Amino acid sequence: MKAIRFVAIAVLALTAFTILGAHYLAPAGYEQQFRELPQAGPSAHHILGTDDVGRDRWARLLYGMRVSLVLAPLAALFTTVLAGLVGGIAGYFGGWTERCCKLLIDLFLSVPWLFLLITVRAVLPLNISPEASVTVTFALLGLLGWAASARVICTGAKDLMKSEFVWMARASGFSGLKLIRLHLMPNLRGALLAQFWISIPVFIIAEANLGALGLGVAEPLPSLGSLLRELQDSVTLRPEPWRLLPLVVLIVVISSFQILLNKQEVRS
Amino acid sequence: MLRFWGWALLRLAAVMIMASFAGAMLMRIAPGFSSDDQELNSGLSAQSIQAVRKAHLADANIPHFYAQYIGSLMKGDLGTSRSLNQPVKQLLRERLPVTLENLGFALGVGWLLGLALAIAAQTWNIRALTFLANGLSGTFISTPSAALALVFLLLRWPPAFAAALLVFPKIYRYTQNLLQQSSEMPHVLTARAKGAGPWRVLAWHVAPIALPQLIALVGVSISIGIGVLLPIEVVSDVAGIGQLAWQAAQSRDLPLLVNLTMVVTFVTVCSTLISDAVQRGVTRSAA
Repeated sequence: MKAIRFVAIAVLALTAFTILGAHYLAPAGYEQQFRELPQAGPSAHHILGTDDVGRDRWARLLYGMRVSLVLAPLAALFTTVLAGLVGGIAGYFGGWTERCCKLLIDLFLSVPWLFLLITVRAVLPLNISPEASVTVTFALLGLLGWAASARVICTGAKDLMKSEFVWMARASGFSGLKLIRLHLMPNLRGALLAQFWISIPVFIIAEANLGALGLGVAEPLPSLGSLLRELQDSVTLRPEPWRLLPLVVLIVVISSFQILLNKQEVRS
Repeated sequence: MLRFWGWALLRLAAVMIMASFAGAMLMRIAPGFSSDDQELNSGLSAQSIQAVRKAHLADANIPHFYAQYIGSLMKGDLGTSRSLNQPVKQLLRERLPVTLENLGFALGVGWLLGLALAIAAQTWNIRALTFLANGLSGTFISTPSAALALVFLLLRWPPAFAAALLVFPKIYRYTQNLLQQSSEMPHVLTARAKGAGPWRVLAWHVAPIALPQLIALVGVSISIGIGVLLPIEVVSDVAGIGQLAWQAAQSRDLPLLVNLTMVVTFVTVCSTLISDAVQRGVTRSAA
């Protein structure tokens, strides 16, 4: 298992270096069109060939990975903060506040996530700029994905509120905010961190699904999801198997996250 | 039991009220809500157009709009799809059986595969088998449902099987953890020390502890199954409610989309409640 974890760390480190160095590894950029070379096969200039409008597939893959793998952790951070707030408030106050928060959590957990995402996404304009579409997509993921984490935080906060050291702190006259800052937050840090790490692969997959359905990041900006959408042309996919590389990269990166997550969960 | 059902129904009502309110709000704030195609109809008189506008102005009042929406829902009227120009009820009647059939297949195969591999890995404790099962579940848990549907489309395999493979890792991982925890309990260790065989230990000592939690997972797996079926139906062109929801999202048909989400929420909450009730029953009879 140690060797597999080492491989997973190596894959994630390589991915991080690749997306950071995208500018040097793919100087053509994701937007530049080589109009004389549409749908070209792999060559020395275009490692993965070009797409329908002559854009370099390798450059689009690198920049797509950058968009998905940088913004998914940001969305995960946002969702963890939200989960910490709702779960923390529910666990700290208890009683009716907890019941109301749990009802809200139940509501979010009752609707299959993708249904909720496409419903809210449909309310927003579909013809927005690529930059706005990236923000909207990942903000929605962060805004709608907090419920499961909030339930975990709520249980953790509730258990802490019943613990002896919190009772002692309260008896010593610790005020609400001081109690939260000195006793609750440090002890919930592990659970919050675990929820943050768990959310990252979930959000990458959700963005990939949204992108594949045409409801994610808008053209010409690439993301792992929008690159998957190109695979829907199944007729040309059989003679051009290199086009499956975005899918392979996605599976390898998420699998690496999953392998490391088990260790992280145990630690927290 | 009566108290449990009372609370369960109250919870169902509260969730549905909140979901319907959120749905009504979404429809109300969606761009283009106050406009109507009829306003462009040159055959209508100025008075008729004024009447259409007046009707929309009445809808601008959110409490009034919500009351009207709930009133229609109570009568079983789910409204009319703007893009398909058909009653939502009729669309559901046509599409729901397709989704339920695929969901049944996906859950059946996913559960069978997940349980079989988890039990085999736990009982025989063969390293290669555990490695294979973990590898398979790790691969499918890392694959977006739309991408797996594409691969299945290329291979001309049934799309419901793709859904089954996406449900399987969740069942496998949960069951394996549960069996692992249960098999480390003192009475199980004692049974083993007294010479009970692996199947006897599983059937008489591990299964009774794990069963209630597995029953609770049935309700959750229905929600997971519905979620993975949406992209699969879109990519594989299966005429189920997932594809209908996607079509509604593409054409911004909010009445259809919100009502579909409400129906899915109702099915999910009911299935969770039923599995919770069965879980309680099993726990009580075991005690």
